[in-house]
Amino acid sequence: MLLASAPNLFKYQSGRVVALGRVMLASLFLVSIWLDRTQSGAAAQRSYILLLVYITFALALALATWRNWWLDARLALPAHFVDMAVFMGIVFSTNIYTSPFFVFFLLPLLAAAIRWGWRATALTAAGLILLYLGAGLLVGGGEAFEAQRFIIRSGNLMFLSALLIWFGIHQRFTQLFFHVDELHNGLPVEADLLVQTLRISMKAAEAGSGALLLRADSDLDYEGPCMRNGVPGCGSVEQPLISQAALGQLLFNLPGNRALADHARGRFRFCKASDVIAADDLSELGAAEGLIAEVRSGTRQGWLVLWDMAELSTDYLLVGRELGQAVGAVLDRAALLVAIEEGAAARTRLSLARDVHDSVVQFLAGASFRVEAVMRASRSGMKIDRDLEELKRLLVNEQGEIRGFISALRRDRKLELADAVEELRALAKRLSQQWAVDCRVGATADSAAIPIRLQLDVQHLLREAVANAVRHGQADRVDIGIGVDQGQLRLEVRDNGSGFSPASAAVQPWSLKERVERAQGSLDVSSEAGQTNLTIRLPLTGGNG
Amino acid sequence: MRVLLADDHPMIGAALELLLRGTDYELTGRARTGAEALAQVRSARPDILLLDVNMPDGSGIEVLRTLRERGRAPRVVLLTAGMDDPQLIAADRLEPEGMVLKTADPALLLECMEEVGKGARWVDPEIAERITVAKHRASAKPSLTPRERELVGLVRQGLRNREIADRLGVTEGTVKVYLHGIFDKVGVENRTELAMQAAELLGV
Repeated sequence: MLLASAPNLFKYQSGRVVALGRVMLASLFLVSIWLDRTQSGAAAQRSYILLLVYITFALALALATWRNWWLDARLALPAHFVDMAVFMGIVFSTNIYTSPFFVFFLLPLLAAAIRWGWRATALTAAGLILLYLGAGLLVGGGEAFEAQRFIIRSGNLMFLSALLIWFGIHQRFTQLFFHVDELHNGLPVEADLLVQTLRISMKAAEAGSGALLLRADSDLDYEGPCMRNGVPGCGSVEQPLISQAALGQLLFNLPGNRALADHARGRFRFCKASDVIAADDLSELGAAEGLIAEVRSGTRQGWLVLWDMAELSTDYLLVGRELGQAVGAVLDRAALLVAIEEGAAARTRLSLARDVHDSVVQFLAGASFRVEAVMRASRSGMKIDRDLEELKRLLVNEQGEIRGFISALRRDRKLELADAVEELRALAKRLSQQWAVDCRVGATADSAAIPIRLQLDVQHLLREAVANAVRHGQADRVDIGIGVDQGQLRLEVRDNGSGFSPASAAVQPWSLKERVERAQGSLDVSSEAGQTNLTIRLPLTGGNG
Repeated sequence: MRVLLADDHPMIGAALELLLRGTDYELTGRARTGAEALAQVRSARPDILLLDVNMPDGSGIEVLRTLRERGRAPRVVLLTAGMDDPQLIAADRLEPEGMVLKTADPALLLECMEEVGKGARWVDPEIAERITVAKHRASAKPSLTPRERELVGLVRQGLRNREIADRLGVTEGTVKVYLHGIFDKVGVENRTELAMQAAELLGV
């Protein structure tokens, strides 16, 4: 039981670790110089008294701050100076070259790195090194001075300091201790994304209650899921929970009217809760003591509020920062996925609009030009029967095209290859009549689901290919083959036209190439006298949506 | 009057051929791509070029630009079934002699060709209106969201994507997506152009 609960005793409790470390180090040191009398140096009495006072101080501090984050934050800096002062006292009062005073160097340095970051670590290190060198010079005149050992220890001090400053700069401590994998690994985009995010945040912070209140630019209130002692609900507040924008996250205690924020440079900032947070709104949520972290994403801004923690500590400021950023990233990622899906849908819509424009609008424009021509011919007494007959044929033909297009659009599912082939056969029949060419479709017995977009592309490609074969090659026979090959739809078009030399730029099938590229497919053309072969491959998934 | 028609749509081509039948216009040829149009202008030397805007291998706008650079060129009537804002503005700058909507009354095309043939300029009133609107839209300052403004501010400071991502607590990929959104909104190609316009965008 004890082992199982031990990690929680120190999780997010670096203040506790530092306080306990101080007590244990001081006690161990006392024991070590008591056992090895040579280490106590000339001023043995002074060393014992100093250590006993320090141990008492350390114990009192540990007890006072064990469950009090406010006092822990308040006393952190004074205690830090006491640690450094004791370091100096120990250096002076013990045998500087043989005593294990070295451990006292580590405590303030580690405490600074964990609590305040690299600036405080650098300042502490500089102070301690100066103290050590000063002590070395003072004692240096004595007989016991060993220059070599002194230099080695000075070097060790500097090396250790540099290492800890580097850790502080790169915020390794924060990331090591407070990384919330579940949020960073990404969540599926679902309707209850906010609820899930709140749950994970609460779990990470070991909070019994929480709320995630967000607002988009256009919203008036901050709204979102709320969880009070495991009971889900909704929360909403009208004003920002933290009234000072510079404070990204803070700990609050409403009964004591206390709020603690961390400064950008790692220092604590002590405030009256009523000055910096919307205390009434928090009370309404049911929160008396806890953590608020600002959450910002590209589209939303708001607050993650966590309360009912078993053991709140100053470390929760870092937890809050990490959670705030992680939740912001989750929202950004979700917005990105939605944008990608919407983008794909928009691309399909645009591409369909383009198809309608290229076929229907152009056809109608052409038809109206024809009507104008027929009217003018009629006015000048020319015979118009043949022109009208041709116009009727074109209109009937186009009707078939539009019907095929609309039926493809109506379908909200993919098309089986066999059905797609049937539609292509119907199209080939119309093309045969339009261009006076023998147009035949042959298909393999493959099975595949064809997206609507792909089917429309294939129909367009077929129209273009047949038109090219007749216009440029004067072909009277076009054979079309369709099948599925390695996740791609393969369309082969072979005509018996005059063919062309590969270098002939004038007959490059530009319109085909453009459409194939848009669908992220490939196009191969080979031609010789009396035959032209087109092989088009289009991916069954992806492409332009 | 010799007329060259450049349009890739078979229906339009055949219909215009029919429309010009029995008029004073002689159809000297038909091009289906931008490159073909340029080649045939050189070889056939038409008086009027009926030029579709959306064609493969060199749009009508590109053909018109090349012809303007070449100097001696036929009078150009742009034919369009619809242009977007950048196309409208580009077309307007190149000052074609005529601009006709394919969706308008076909009689207007003949009226336009007649005016252009006489050396005048004729632009469909609807296209003129759309050009005015497009110019107005292009000159209006785009509105940025607070987050986008923040990002523009960071780009202005010369920060790289990695550094911006760290500052905002998002991934580098997210920064890229946002930046491209801003590029589109503002109408710039890259971050350097964005940085140059940043002060104006942020109103500082």
